[in-house]
Amino acid sequence: MAEDTKPQAAPPPRPAGPPPPKNPGLVTATIDGREVVAKPGTSVIEAARSLGITIPYYCYHKRLSVAANCRMCLVEMSNAPMGKLMPACQMPLAEGVVVKTDTPRVKDQQRATLEFLLLNHPVDCAICDQAGECKLQDYYQTYDAQPSRLDIPKVKKAKRVWLGPLVTLDQERCILCTRCVRFMREVAKEPQLGVAERGTDSFIETFPGQPLDSKYAGNVVDICPVGALTSTDFRFRGRVWFMSSARSICTGCSRGCNTFLDYLSDTSYRYRPRENDAVNQEWMCDDGRLSYKPLNRDRVLSARVGRSQGEKAGEVVPRQAAVARAAQLLSEQARAGRLALLLSPSVSLEDALVTLAVAREGLSLVEAYLGGRPDGWQDQFLKRADENPNRRGLELAAQGMGLTLRPFADLLEAVGAGEVRALWAVGTELPSEGEAVRLAGLTVVAQATNDGPLARAAEVLLPASPHAESDGTFVNFEGRAQRFEMAYFPRGDSRPHWSLAGELGRALGVSQLHASAREAFAALGPRLGAALGDFRWDSLPSVGKRPGLVPLAAGTVDGRLPGYRERVPSEGSEDQRRALARLPQGGRP
Amino acid sequence: MTAPAHSPPAPSAQENDAPLPVKRMVVNLGPSHPAMHGVTRAVVELEGETIRAMKLDIGFLHRGFEKSCETVTWGQCFPYTDRLNYVSSIMNNVGFALAVEKLCRLEVPERARYLRVVTSELHRICDHLTLVGAMAMELGAGTVFFFAIEGRDLIWDRLTELCGARLTSNYARIGGVSRDLPEGWADKTLRTLDRVAELCEEIHGLLTRNRIFLDRTRGTGRVPRQDAIELGFTGPCLRASGEAYDVRKAFPYLVYDRLDFDIPVGANGDNFDRYLMRMEEMRQSDRIVRQCFQQMQPGEIIVQDFRYALPPKPLVYGTIEGVMAHFKLVMEGIKVPAGEAYSYTEAANGELGFYLVSDGGGRPYKLGLRAPGWPMLAALPFMTKDALLADLIPTFDSINMIGGEVEQ
Repeated sequence: MAEDTKPQAAPPPRPAGPPPPKNPGLVTATIDGREVVAKPGTSVIEAARSLGITIPYYCYHKRLSVAANCRMCLVEMSNAPMGKLMPACQMPLAEGVVVKTDTPRVKDQQRATLEFLLLNHPVDCAICDQAGECKLQDYYQTYDAQPSRLDIPKVKKAKRVWLGPLVTLDQERCILCTRCVRFMREVAKEPQLGVAERGTDSFIETFPGQPLDSKYAGNVVDICPVGALTSTDFRFRGRVWFMSSARSICTGCSRGCNTFLDYLSDTSYRYRPRENDAVNQEWMCDDGRLSYKPLNRDRVLSARVGRSQGEKAGEVVPRQAAVARAAQLLSEQARAGRLALLLSPSVSLEDALVTLAVAREGLSLVEAYLGGRPDGWQDQFLKRADENPNRRGLELAAQGMGLTLRPFADLLEAVGAGEVRALWAVGTELPSEGEAVRLAGLTVVAQATNDGPLARAAEVLLPASPHAESDGTFVNFEGRAQRFEMAYFPRGDSRPHWSLAGELGRALGVSQLHASAREAFAALGPRLGAALGDFRWDSLPSVGKRPGLVPLAAGTVDGRLPGYRERVPSEGSEDQRRALARLPQGGRP
Repeated sequence: MTAPAHSPPAPSAQENDAPLPVKRMVVNLGPSHPAMHGVTRAVVELEGETIRAMKLDIGFLHRGFEKSCETVTWGQCFPYTDRLNYVSSIMNNVGFALAVEKLCRLEVPERARYLRVVTSELHRICDHLTLVGAMAMELGAGTVFFFAIEGRDLIWDRLTELCGARLTSNYARIGGVSRDLPEGWADKTLRTLDRVAELCEEIHGLLTRNRIFLDRTRGTGRVPRQDAIELGFTGPCLRASGEAYDVRKAFPYLVYDRLDFDIPVGANGDNFDRYLMRMEEMRQSDRIVRQCFQQMQPGEIIVQDFRYALPPKPLVYGTIEGVMAHFKLVMEGIKVPAGEAYSYTEAANGELGFYLVSDGGGRPYKLGLRAPGWPMLAALPFMTKDALLADLIPTFDSINMIGGEVEQ
C-alpha cells in the first residue's frame, strides 16, 4: 500500500525538440551570412532572390512546377543529407538552415554543370536567334569561362523540326530543361509536348499526328532559356541586341495583355509578354503575338483627297490641306444634320476623348456609332471574344463627354433610311467587311491606320498612327486602364487620332489641339470622373525586366548597344522627368 | 607748286623727343602658328617685346575623350587612348590597361609586362625626339629636326611591324598585349636603337654647346623647384627643376623594379635643363629596352582567361565555349568589378593618371584622365611673365604640350 501511495516516478525527460521558430509563423534562415525571413514553403531560390542573391537556374520557373533537372542551382545547405549539394529551386527554406551559394564547391559544381550542358551544344551563336538573350551565354561567361575539353564529335540531332504553326525546334540546342513540356501541361492545359528517348538521345517532341497547335504555343519560345524553341515568325528576322523595347499593350483583344514591343528604327518585329500578375501573368496568345503585323503592313502613310476609283487612288496632298478639306466637308454636312461619327474601339482613350470633344463642340453631334473589329474566338484563359482593345474606354469617354454610343447596326439603319449621308470615321475597322459597300455611298472622312474598304471609299483620307507610334491608354474589359508608350515617331505623314482630331477641331474653331497625348488626357481626363479608379497617367509600371531572360548589357538603359541613337524608352525616364518638372524647385518626391 | 591744304603740320621738336607711348599691345599667337604646334592660341599682352600677361585658349582638339569612353566597352576605349598623346600612343594604352587591371585585380603574364615596357620606352624615345627636334627647329636649327625625325620614323617603322599602325599604334590589351614580337624584330630594333643613339649624339653635338641655343634656352622659362611642385609638374619638367620624382622609381610598375636605369635630375628648371632631361632620358630608355630584350623569356602574352581576353580564333570558330566568350566580350564587354581606382604611370610628359569608376558592367561608369601635359601648359603664363616674346617659343616647346592629351 505504501508503495501505492508513493508518487509515481517522473517520466524520463523527452529529448529536446526543435527550438521555437525565431519569427512565429515564418521561417528564418541564413543565406550567405544574411538572415532571411520568409513564408513557410518558400524555396531557397526565391528567398535568395529577395535578398538580391542570384542563384543561376535553367529549368526553374516561378509559374511552373519544379523539375530540378538542370542542376544549375545546387547550393550548400546545413540540413542536406550527407552534406550533398541541394537544388535551391526545390528545397523549401527551413528554420535555422544555413545556405551558402558562393563556396568553392558550389562554384565548381556550376562550372561542371555548364561544361556538361555545353558538351553537345552546337557552335551556333552566330546564327541563333537567342544570341543576346540566351542564358547559356550569360551563365557561361559568369560561372564557367573555361575552354572546351571535348575531343570527340558532338551528338547530332535534327536542326529544324516543325512543331506547329508558330514554333520551330532545334533539337541540338535543347538542354532538356522541360520548361516547355511543363508549360503546355500546366498553363496551356494542352499537353502537346513531351521528352522522347533517353540519355544523350533525348529530345523534345510532339505526339505523332498532333502538332503543337495550341493557341498559347508561342509562350514556349519565351520561356525556352536557350535557342532551341524559336518563333517561326521571328526566326532569322533580326538580331535582338539591335532592338529596343517599348512597354506596350496587345491590341488583339479586350484583355489588354501587357507586352514589350521590340522595334528597330520604325519597324516592329515582335511582341513579348510583359509581366503583370493582374492581367496576363507573363503569357499571351499566339493571335495576339502576331497582331503586331498591321503596324508595318498596308499602312496609310499619306493624306489623300478624292475618292479612289478602281486602281486609281485619290490625290496625295499635304496633311494640312486634307484637314482643311475634311473640316469643310464635316461642317457642311453637320449643319445639314446628315453627319454621323463612327468611332472604332481600337483607338486609345485619348483619341476617343479628343474626337468626342471635337464632335460635340465643333460639330454639335450628340451621338456616335461604334465600329470596330468583329468578335472572334474566346477561351477561359486570356483571349476575349471582343477583339478591340478599348471598347470599355470608349464607353467611358462617351459617357464623360455626354454623347450617346449606338451600335453599328443603328448606323446601317440610319444610312438605309437616308438620315445619314456623311460619315466621319475615326478608325476604319468594321464589324463586317461586307458592310463597307453600304457605307460606300456616303461622303466619308476617314482617319485610318491601315488600308481597307472604308479607307478606299473615303473622300478625304487622313493617315493615322497606331499605338506603336503614340503614347496612350487602353481600358480593358474589366475597366483596368493601362498605359502604352510610344516606340517610334509616327511614320510618314501620319499622326495619332488625337492629333488629327485636334487639327480638325482647330479648323472647326474648337481648341482641342494638344501637344501630346498626356496633355490631351490632362485636359479631358477629368471628365471621366472616378471611372478609372486610381489610374495615374504617368505610372507606367516597369515590371518584367528579368535578369537572364532579358539580359541587360551593362551601362545602357535598356540593354541596347552604344551608338544606338533611337528613342530609347527607359525605366520611368519620361515619367520621372515629368514628375520632377511638377515639383517645386529643389523639392523631392 | 603749293603744298596741299590738307597736309599735316610738321611735328614739333617736343613731340619728336617724346618717349614711345607705353601702350600695351595684344597679339594673337596661333591658333594656326607654326610655333603653336597642336592647335593652340596664346593671347599675349605685350609691352614692347616684354610679355606682361598671357592667356591660353585651348580646346581646338577637344574630343570629349572622357565622356566618349562611357559609351563604349572597356576594350573599345583603347583606340581613344591612342589619340591622347598621339606621339607616344602605346604609353597611354598601357596606362589605361593597368588601370583596368587594377580594378580587376588581374595578374598580367611576365612576357606581356616586358613587352609593355619595351614598347613604352620606344615610344618615350619618339616623344623626346619630337620635342628636341621641334624645339631646335623653332629656334632656327632645321638640321636637328631632320635628324630627330629620322630617328623617330625608324622607331615608328618597328612599331608598325609590331602592331600595324605607324602613329596610332594600339598594342596593349586588358590582361596583356595584342601580339607577340615578329620574327627577328628584337635584332632589328637593337640596330634601330644604335642608329637612334648615333642621331642623338649628332643632335647633342649640334645643340648642347651651341651659342644661339644656349642663349635662347638657358635661364628662360625658369621654374624653381618649389614652384614646380606647387604647380603640379611631373615628368621631365619636374625633374629639370631638381625634384627627383619618377613614377617608375617611386612606385615601380610592370617590371621597372628589375631594370637598371637612372633618372636624370636638373638644377635650374629652365628650358635648357628640360632639353637636357629629354636627351638623357632617351639614353636611359635605350638602356631599358636592351635590358628587357636580355631578360624576357618566351611565354604567354595575355592572360588565358575568357572573362578578360578574347579566345583564340580557332576556339571561336570551333567551340561553343569560345564563340560564347567572344560574343559576350565583344557585345557586352569585360565585366569589371564595381569600384573605383586611380592608376598612374610615367608617360613621356609625366604622370599619366586614369581614374576609373565601374558599376560592375561592361563599360566605364566614369573615367577621368590626369593628362601629364596639363599642369605645365596651365603654368605657361606664369613661366613667361615678364619674359621676352622670343622666350615664349622655347618655353612652349620644352613643356611639350600635346593637344590630344591636354584637351582630351
